[in-house]
Amino acid sequence: MRMPPFELHLPESLDSAMTIAGELADEDCDFDWIAGGTDLLPNYKWHLNSKPHVISLAKVSELSTLEPTHIGAMVRLQALATSDSCHPLLRQTSGTIASVMIRRSGTVGGNICLDTRCFWFNQGEEWRRSIDWCIKCDCGTGADCRVISHQNELCVATYQADLAASLLALDATIHLASPDGSRSLPLAEFFQEDGITRNVLKDGEMVTHLTLPDDAEDWQGDYQKLRLRESWDFPEAGIAAAWKIDGDGNLDGLRVASTALESIPRLHQELADEAREGWAGVESVNSLAVAVQKAVKPVNNTWFPPSYRKKMVRVLTRRALAPLERVEAAN
Amino acid sequence: MVRIRVPMLPAPGELPWSASVNDTEVDIHVESNAILLDVLRDQVGTLGVKRGCDMGTCGCCSVLVDGEPRLSCLMLAHEAAGCALTTVEGLADGHHLHPIQETFTTHGGSQCGFCTPGFLVVISALLEENPEPNEAEIKAAIDGNLCRCTGYQQIVDSVRAASMIITSGKKTADATDPMPDPHPGMPTVEVESEELEVVPDE
Ligand SMILES: Cc1cc2nc3c(=O)[nH]c(=O)nc-3n(C[C@H](O)[C@H](O)[C@H](O)COP(=O)(O)OP(=O)(O)OC[C@H]3O[C@@H](n4cnc5c(N)ncnc54)[C@H](O)[C@@H]3O)c2cc1C
Ligand code: SF4
Ligand code: FES
Ligand code: FES
Repeated sequence: MRMPPFELHLPESLDSAMTIAGELADEDCDFDWIAGGTDLLPNYKWHLNSKPHVISLAKVSELSTLEPTHIGAMVRLQALATSDSCHPLLRQTSGTIASVMIRRSGTVGGNICLDTRCFWFNQGEEWRRSIDWCIKCDCGTGADCRVISHQNELCVATYQADLAASLLALDATIHLASPDGSRSLPLAEFFQEDGITRNVLKDGEMVTHLTLPDDAEDWQGDYQKLRLRESWDFPEAGIAAAWKIDGDGNLDGLRVASTALESIPRLHQELADEAREGWAGVESVNSLAVAVQKAVKPVNNTWFPPSYRKKMVRVLTRRALAPLERVEAAN
Repeated sequence: MVRIRVPMLPAPGELPWSASVNDTEVDIHVESNAILLDVLRDQVGTLGVKRGCDMGTCGCCSVLVDGEPRLSCLMLAHEAAGCALTTVEGLADGHHLHPIQETFTTHGGSQCGFCTPGFLVVISALLEENPEPNEAEIKAAIDGNLCRCTGYQQIVDSVRAASMIITSGKKTADATDPMPDPHPGMPTVEVESEELEVVPDE
């Protein structure tokens, strides 16, 4: 497929990446970061919102650190899936992403910043022309959203990356850098409920790494994913749960997060806290699963109908929480 | 009304690009936005690298980049500059096929053959790292390669057979040796020698 024209920059350190980003900003030139390219390049091949400049992070070695509580943005998903020095929940989750070949290229940073997806949008140019485009790539026609028409300017494309749910359940912090400096924020505050802007990254800003709290190893968890073909499909719904069991074998902490159901992944902390207070094994598993199902609002822009995905949320949550069926609340 | 979507910028400039492709140094000029698959097929001429989906789904375009299997359709050519690239053309050792190439023919690992270069490259990397993979390891290694013909069982069988050749330390046969019987199993037909007389064109 014909690639749109762009100029590639290949910095070899974080500093020079920042310098190039700063220079492009000064010249008012739009650019995209490229990490593994497994999301950006298919989108570019379809001529979806390509930019005149692309800065590759492939040679920036500082971003590839992988330690139990520190995950560099350029850590490859396959490295995460086979590493002994990462949290078991992240190992399990990254092992479910795409196929082994895509995991060899795809990175953690690219997965977190994955563009939102929609079956009216992730299509070739002819196809999109035939539906007169849509807000996310309107080609100057002022086209409406094809999923929810006559609403407003909001694009409701779905965030279909897996890792975010598990990282939310492990209470991760995300670290960002830009030519103006760096900042850190809880991962839950990184995402923005808008299929076009997606997250709080400012122009020229990038993700450098994620960290987990020091007590992350005391937390166990599970990730459950619904997809069309097990070999490589994107999640149609994903539920991550993480919990902490105290010395007496009772439930001392619980987090549940969902992904692939809305424009952002969501941490359902209030629901989890409520359930944990009077935790009563199977009963609580079932009621929390129903509560999470009620909390998510999938729309009709992926392969499975939203009603089915919503129903499966209950099933996936129950499966993820199955190890807690015989556990009681901590006093 | 039809609007043109892509900004009509001038084509990106060409930059020098060099890499070792199947142990041969290649020095060419490549566009800034070029994809490795396109460079290998259109400029280097290694047509064994196949374009299946061009979107990361099928694995037909797999090549080894410094020994690691990667999808060339989702890799920028300039990111691979300076690397050692191996395509299916580079798997054989002189006149000796790579064991997996040989066992694909003997165990039916290839039918239409379109997916075959991708599988061969990926499996050669697996066997390099792990000469005796078990069934789960074989399946995990090829889970990014799609085959519409074989049903995968013959491919798994081929990997097992290749693993046996490798661990035995033997080489595959010299592919240029004349075959003792080019059609094994075919009934031989006696032909009278005068029937073979060549009739010259008029
Ligand atoms: C066939 C197929 C199947 C897939 N299946 C799945 C799946 O099951 N689950 C899943 O989650 N994903 C899936 N993906 C999507 C994708 O492969 C992965 O999400 C992968 O992790 C993306 O990482 P990348 O490094 O390749 O991202 P890239 O394509 O390099 O980048 C993706 C986006 O993130 C931005 N970005 C990348 N790194 C940074 C950074 N450090 N800072 C700021 N922005 C950054 C880029 O600008 C771009 O917008 C699939 C893709 C394909 C082609
Ligand atoms: S949700 Fe609407 S605006 Fe967004 S990509 Fe889909 S059709 Fe376009
Ligand atoms: S052509 Fe690269 S994966 Fe299909
Ligand atoms: S042999 Fe035909 S696709 Fe694999």
